[in-house]
Amino acid sequence: MRTIALSLSLAVSALVSSSVLAQAPDDDAKIIRGRYQAVLADCAACHTKPGGASLAGGAPLQTPFGELVPPNITPDEETGIGSWTAADFRRAMKEGIGHDGKRLYPAMPYPAYTKMSDQDIDALWSYIRTVEPVHNPVEANQLPFPFNIRLVMLGWNMVNFEPGDFRPDPNRSEEWNRGAYIVQAAGHCGTCHSPKSLLGADKGDEALQGASLQGWYAPNITGNSYLGIGSWSEDEIVAYLKTGQNAHSIASGPMREAVQESTSRMNDADLKAIAVYLKSTEGGETQKPQPIAAEDPHMRAGAMIYHDTCSACHRADGTGGRQLFPALAGSPLVQQPSAETLTHVVLNGSQGAATPEARTTPAMPSFAWRLDDQQVADVLTYIRNSWGNAAPPVTADDVKAQR
Amino acid sequence: MESHCLKRPTRRQFLSSVAFAALAGSAGGAVARSISGEPPWQSGAADPPIQVRPGGWMFFTADEVSTMEAVVDRLIPADELSIGGREAGCVLYLDRQLAGSYGASARLYTAGPFLPGLPTQGYQNAETPDQRYRLGIASLNAWTRDNKDGKRFAELSGDDQDAVLKDLEAGKIELPNKVNAKAFFNLMLSGAMEGFFADPIYGGNKDMASWRMLGFPGARYDYRDHVSKHNQPYPLPPVSIAGSTEWMSR
Repeated sequence: MRTIALSLSLAVSALVSSSVLAQAPDDDAKIIRGRYQAVLADCAACHTKPGGASLAGGAPLQTPFGELVPPNITPDEETGIGSWTAADFRRAMKEGIGHDGKRLYPAMPYPAYTKMSDQDIDALWSYIRTVEPVHNPVEANQLPFPFNIRLVMLGWNMVNFEPGDFRPDPNRSEEWNRGAYIVQAAGHCGTCHSPKSLLGADKGDEALQGASLQGWYAPNITGNSYLGIGSWSEDEIVAYLKTGQNAHSIASGPMREAVQESTSRMNDADLKAIAVYLKSTEGGETQKPQPIAAEDPHMRAGAMIYHDTCSACHRADGTGGRQLFPALAGSPLVQQPSAETLTHVVLNGSQGAATPEARTTPAMPSFAWRLDDQQVADVLTYIRNSWGNAAPPVTADDVKAQR
Repeated sequence: MESHCLKRPTRRQFLSSVAFAALAGSAGGAVARSISGEPPWQSGAADPPIQVRPGGWMFFTADEVSTMEAVVDRLIPADELSIGGREAGCVLYLDRQLAGSYGASARLYTAGPFLPGLPTQGYQNAETPDQRYRLGIASLNAWTRDNKDGKRFAELSGDDQDAVLKDLEAGKIELPNKVNAKAFFNLMLSGAMEGFFADPIYGGNKDMASWRMLGFPGARYDYRDHVSKHNQPYPLPPVSIAGSTEWMSR
């Protein structure tokens, strides 16, 4: 079996290198840079189905407006983007307009990609041209009326979309500007982490302050030291992005995928730049509220549930266990305005990211069978208001909505 | 001693059985699975135990219930320490166990040959637990009917019930239907203890009564915070797999 796998991988690498070698040496370097842009932009997160062919179309995205299916972006002539030109691709990335003039939906994060440099977009295009073409027709637009009319995006773009390049801040360091460029452009962090308007656009003035998506809450990742990652050192942020875990937290849900497919493959200098930039940003409530009193009946029940169910791993004092069990005490994720991620994890469990430097993927089991809605709410209210934590209580209705 | 030992197979028998086993193994679908990358995990996956709910009997007849309730209440009588075996739900526990995989020995190797084994080898006979209870209870009541003025076991006085149980335990009673009195007594005793001490989700140990009596903290597995607190009682009340009343905020 091993030999087969080995010879297969040799055959594949031979194929890859022969197609790469067929290009001129200049193109070679450009393709490699483009492949890195695909890592930064995490194209695979949406355009590759779990277990499916690379970039040949993804799993459906649930948006507040309906379902969208990420299309096939392999160079297949008929079902992919094989008939596109570099200019077509640039227009899609920078203006949100496809090959045939069709307007893209901003689930494709062109409002972020528009800030990518032409050079990076061209490199990405060179790389995408080298991906194995796959014949896989995808009907991307599965939205209900009226959202299925692509022309509505014309109006949306007029209100919500500001095309244009990333503008470096000359008063900041080169490293800061590199971090800002990755976060705002290719990395499109705000697509998940920025609050959305009713129309689904990023609220620019609340960038990176946390938002709900697909049953999770993408937390505040600004330098805010109560709700954001201000209390993490740059090294700790780098460790989180590189390995999916650090002394404070373990990535879960969609961030777990982002770490596996994207941030763990970024180079250390870029991760450091991201950390420097994120720590410099501000936003969200900075004043920690008064925690709910320990005598509150929900807190009392929550404490018993915690000691009987959670403390064996997360410890009675909420400090967790390094590399296996995330700390709850002092965790910004635990104190977000919304407890969606916490509820999701208690009800469904969670598994840590598998990265080259952290392969253990510690997992938490589902507790949906053991705790009813009120008990999940009470234990979450307890962890959000103990050991120095303070956050709004969770109600049984909140939990019921997610069960 | 000699009579207890199984006959050793001949060399020829051994080799042919190994060859057969190898053949059967290769023909069967047992294939080792190799996992690479990350350990498999599924969101929301759980294999929770099924909570036993009282109401109706799934194995015992009404007569058997009254007999077993009398037995478990003599084995574990209500006293100043705890409720008795009947109130704790030992018979409900046994009923559900006997109606389930335990009753049919579904998860034990119980094919022949049936030879007398050593005590350390455990039970060596063909009858499954559900058959043993059915026949054992009937034989016990037949014996009391013949020897105790036509009464069923449950109709005897407490002292008489104790005397019968002691004689069963000592093997002094010869039960009809070739039921081994001592072995049947031990079967009922271990069943009563399981029901009394097992987690309440299995039907017995009502309100964790036995755990409260013993000071056993229940379904927990981390005591690191208490290891160094010598000679201090453990502060938390017991908890079942299904939780505890302390979890209610209302």
